Amino acid sequence: MVVRMVEAVGRTSIGAWQRFLGALEELGRATVIGLRGLANLFLPPVRLRLIIEQTEFIGVSSLPIILLTSAFTGAVFTLQSYRAFAIFGAEAMVGGTVGVALTRELGPTLTGLLVAGRAGSAMAAELGSMRVSEQIDALEAMAVDPVNYLVKPRLAASILSMPILTAIFDAVGVAGSYLVGVYLLGMSKPEFLVRLGDWVDWDDIWTGLFKATVFGLLMGVISCYKGYYTTGGAAGVGRATTSAVVVTSVSVLVTNFFIAWLLP
Amino acid sequence: MTDPHHVVDPVTGEEAAIVYEGVYKAFGDFEVLRGLDLVVPRGRITCVIGRSGTGKSVTIKHIMGLLRPDKGRIFVSGRDITAMSDRERRKVRLKFGMVFQNAALFDSLTVFDNVAFPLREHSKLSKAEIADRVQHMLAQVGLSGASSKFPSELSGGMRKRVGLARALIGNPEFLLYDEPTTGLDPILAAAMDALIADTQAANPELTSLVISHDMKAVLGIADKIVMLYEGRVVHEGTPDYFRNSDDALVRQFLEGSLDGPMKV
Repeated sequence: MVVRMVEAVGRTSIGAWQRFLGALEELGRATVIGLRGLANLFLPPVRLRLIIEQTEFIGVSSLPIILLTSAFTGAVFTLQSYRAFAIFGAEAMVGGTVGVALTRELGPTLTGLLVAGRAGSAMAAELGSMRVSEQIDALEAMAVDPVNYLVKPRLAASILSMPILTAIFDAVGVAGSYLVGVYLLGMSKPEFLVRLGDWVDWDDIWTGLFKATVFGLLMGVISCYKGYYTTGGAAGVGRATTSAVVVTSVSVLVTNFFIAWLLP
Repeated sequence: MTDPHHVVDPVTGEEAAIVYEGVYKAFGDFEVLRGLDLVVPRGRITCVIGRSGTGKSVTIKHIMGLLRPDKGRIFVSGRDITAMSDRERRKVRLKFGMVFQNAALFDSLTVFDNVAFPLREHSKLSKAEIADRVQHMLAQVGLSGASSKFPSELSGGMRKRVGLARALIGNPEFLLYDEPTTGLDPILAAAMDALIADTQAANPELTSLVISHDMKAVLGIADKIVMLYEGRVVHEGTPDYFRNSDDALVRQFLEGSLDGPMKV
C-alpha cells in the first residue's frame, strides 16, 4: 500500500517535472525564433514586398472587424456607465471614463484579442501547412533562411499593425460613445467633450499604443513559433492554430496586467 | 577512416562526390540510420532503395543539412558538411537542387514564380533574363502553358515536373530526388523516369541521387543502386548486379514478396 502510494507520488512528480521541462523548452524555442526574427529585421534582404503584403493582411483586412467592435464597445460602455453614473448624478463623467478605459485598456486588449483570433490563427495555420508539406524544408534546401523569408515579414507587420489598429479602435470607440451619449442618452456635446479632453491625456494614449506594440510582438512570435514547429500533418496544423490563439490571448491578458502595474 | 578527397566509387569507378561515413541518426528511441557508409559517384545517377522507414528520406535530408547526424560525417566534394557553420552550409546548398516527394511548391506563388524563386533569391539576372530561363526550363519539363497556374490547379505529375524545373533552374552540381514517382500512375511514373534520365544525359556533370522504392524505375535509370536495410547499406552494385543477385533480401525486394527476411 505504502509502496504503491510512493510510486504514484513519484510518477506524478516525474510527470509534472517533465511537463515543466517541456514548457521551458517551448519557451526557449519561441524566444529563439522571436529573437532571430527581430535580428533579421536589420539583416538583408529587406523583403519590403512581403512586409507590405503581411501588413495588408494583418492590418488592412482586420479593419472591418476592428471598426465594428470598437464602435459597439464604445457604445455599450457608454450606455452602462451612464446608467451607473446617473444614480449619483454624475453623468458628465461618462465621456472621460469611457475615453480613459478605451485608450488605456479596452483598445489595446480587445484589438490584441481580435487580431490574434483573425490574423494570428491564419499565420500559424499558413506556416504550419508550409511545414507539413515540406515548403519550409524547400526554402532551406534553396539556401533561403525561412526565418528571414517567413517570420520576419509577419513579425514586422504584427508590430506595425497592432498600434495602428489600436489607435483606430480608440478613435472609433470614442466616436461610438459620443453618438450614444449625445444622441441616444441626451448628454450635451460640451458635457461629453470637456470631461473627455480633461481626463484623457497623451500618457493614456501612449501607454495604450505601447501595450499594443508589445501585443503585436507577442502575437507575431507565438503564431510564427506555433506554425513553424508544427508536426503531425493536418491535425497538427489544427492544434498549432488553436494553440496560437489561446496562448496569444492569455499572454495578452497577463502582459496587460503587468504593463498596467508597471506603467500606472 | 577514408580520405574523403580521394575516394573512388567501387561500383562505377568514378570519383566520389558525396561520402557518408558511419552516420547515425535516431528520432527519440527509434534509430533510423545505424552506421551508414555510402559513396555517391560524380556525374552518375545513384539510386537508394529500401523499404519505407529504412531511412531513405532521412539520408537525403542529411546532405542538405536539413537534418544533422547524431554521429558520423558527410563529405560533399571532400568537405565535411557536419562541421560547417550555418552560413557555410547555406553556401553548399546552392550547389544542390532537390525534388521533394510531394514537390513542396509554394502554394501562394504561380508555377512561374515557383521556378523563378531560386534565381530571384540568389542571382543578379534581370527580370527578362529570369523570364527567359524560366520559360526555357518549363518547356524542358513539358509545362510551357502552365506558367500562370497555381500549384493547387496542377495534377501530381505536373507538380513534380515543376519541382524538377525549380530544382534545375540554378544549374546545380547535385540533384536529389525524394521518391520522384510516388503517387503517380504507371504512365506518368515512366514519363518522370524518362525525364530524370534525359536530365542526366543533358547535364553529364550532374550528380544525381534518387531515393525510391520503385524497383522497375531504378533498374532502368540507375548507374549505381544502393540498398538500405535497418539503417545500413546491405548491398550496392549496378542494376545487373541486382537483377542477377541470389541474395534473399534483394530477391524479396525485387519481387515484392511477403516471404523472406523482411517482415511486415
